[in-house]
Amino acid sequence: MRGLMAGFLTFLFYFAVQAAVFHFRKVSRRAVALVFLWLICLPLYVLCYLALPDDSLLWPAPLAAPSDGVTFFSGLLLYFFIFMGYAQFFYMAESSVGVRTMIELTADPERGLSMEELTRIYRYDWMLDRRMKRMIHAGYLIEEDGWYRTTSRGRLVASVLARCKRLLALGPGG
Amino acid sequence: MLKGLVLALFIFLVFLIVHVLVFRAFQPTRRFDAMVRIMAVLGALMIAIHRLTPATMGFLPEPYVRAGWAVDLLNGLLVFGFLFIGYCMFYFLVDRGFSGRIMIEIESSAQRRLRQAEIAARYSLEMVLHRRLTEMVEIGRVVLDDGRYRNSGKGRSAAALFRFSKKFLQLGEGG
Repeated sequence: MRGLMAGFLTFLFYFAVQAAVFHFRKVSRRAVALVFLWLICLPLYVLCYLALPDDSLLWPAPLAAPSDGVTFFSGLLLYFFIFMGYAQFFYMAESSVGVRTMIELTADPERGLSMEELTRIYRYDWMLDRRMKRMIHAGYLIEEDGWYRTTSRGRLVASVLARCKRLLALGPGG
Repeated sequence: MLKGLVLALFIFLVFLIVHVLVFRAFQPTRRFDAMVRIMAVLGALMIAIHRLTPATMGFLPEPYVRAGWAVDLLNGLLVFGFLFIGYCMFYFLVDRGFSGRIMIEIESSAQRRLRQAEIAARYSLEMVLHRRLTEMVEIGRVVLDDGRYRNSGKGRSAAALFRFSKKFLQLGEGG
């Protein structure tokens, strides 16, 4: 439990710091900030692990693990995995079309919105433009005289995604 | 703690294989639902294997299997659960990623380049929204009534949570 507790407590600290930073400062490079803060909190995991008592002093036998490398690594893994889970939530909140749609639907909770009304509020040119800019900024696309083409990095990602879609028989998707 | 970790990795590998086979063979319409069901069945199988096999499973080194059975199982289930969540992140990127779809459309075009209007023509907003709304109706977050979409109770809670998160974290309108 020592490793798991240390991993969980470190994530709680990370979560508080990250929420405070994003709340009080307008962060433009969000992915970099998320990862950077996670890395900064990493040494805290070691301190937390060292500060917690050995399982045999605190927990009953079925929940006690020796303080060895595997226990230490398990906690570290938990800290990483909770972060990944949180990142998924973060990006859903930030970019998900479904989430944005649900939020727009709260405008008229009783009557709801028709597809026409929804597309008037949630404009496609804005949505597409936002994504094109982000992909150019991230180095996946290049714009030349109004034409968009993929970079080598973009080609690689497109090819991996297309292969996975075919493997799982997912259709064009998007 | 090693037994739980090894079992989690092994069961997750089995999950990936079963997931690919099921999706290829049956092409389920409610895909995420199918993934969760496979995960739940394999999670139960993992618990059974963990309880029925010796701590070393016949090949693990003795010094690393001295943890109590409950913490070992808990650790294994956490790792398996989070591997599943991490995989879901990748899966949604593959299945629904709008940006990914744009790159694939550009790559598959004759000249391997497109104008923004051509991208919009290949993949319209109605298609994007229709797909999302259909899925949200299926999972009970949105209700379709007389051609109008509105949030269900579940959808209202989710919208409130995400609206708060967006505002608190200064994420902008997004979407």
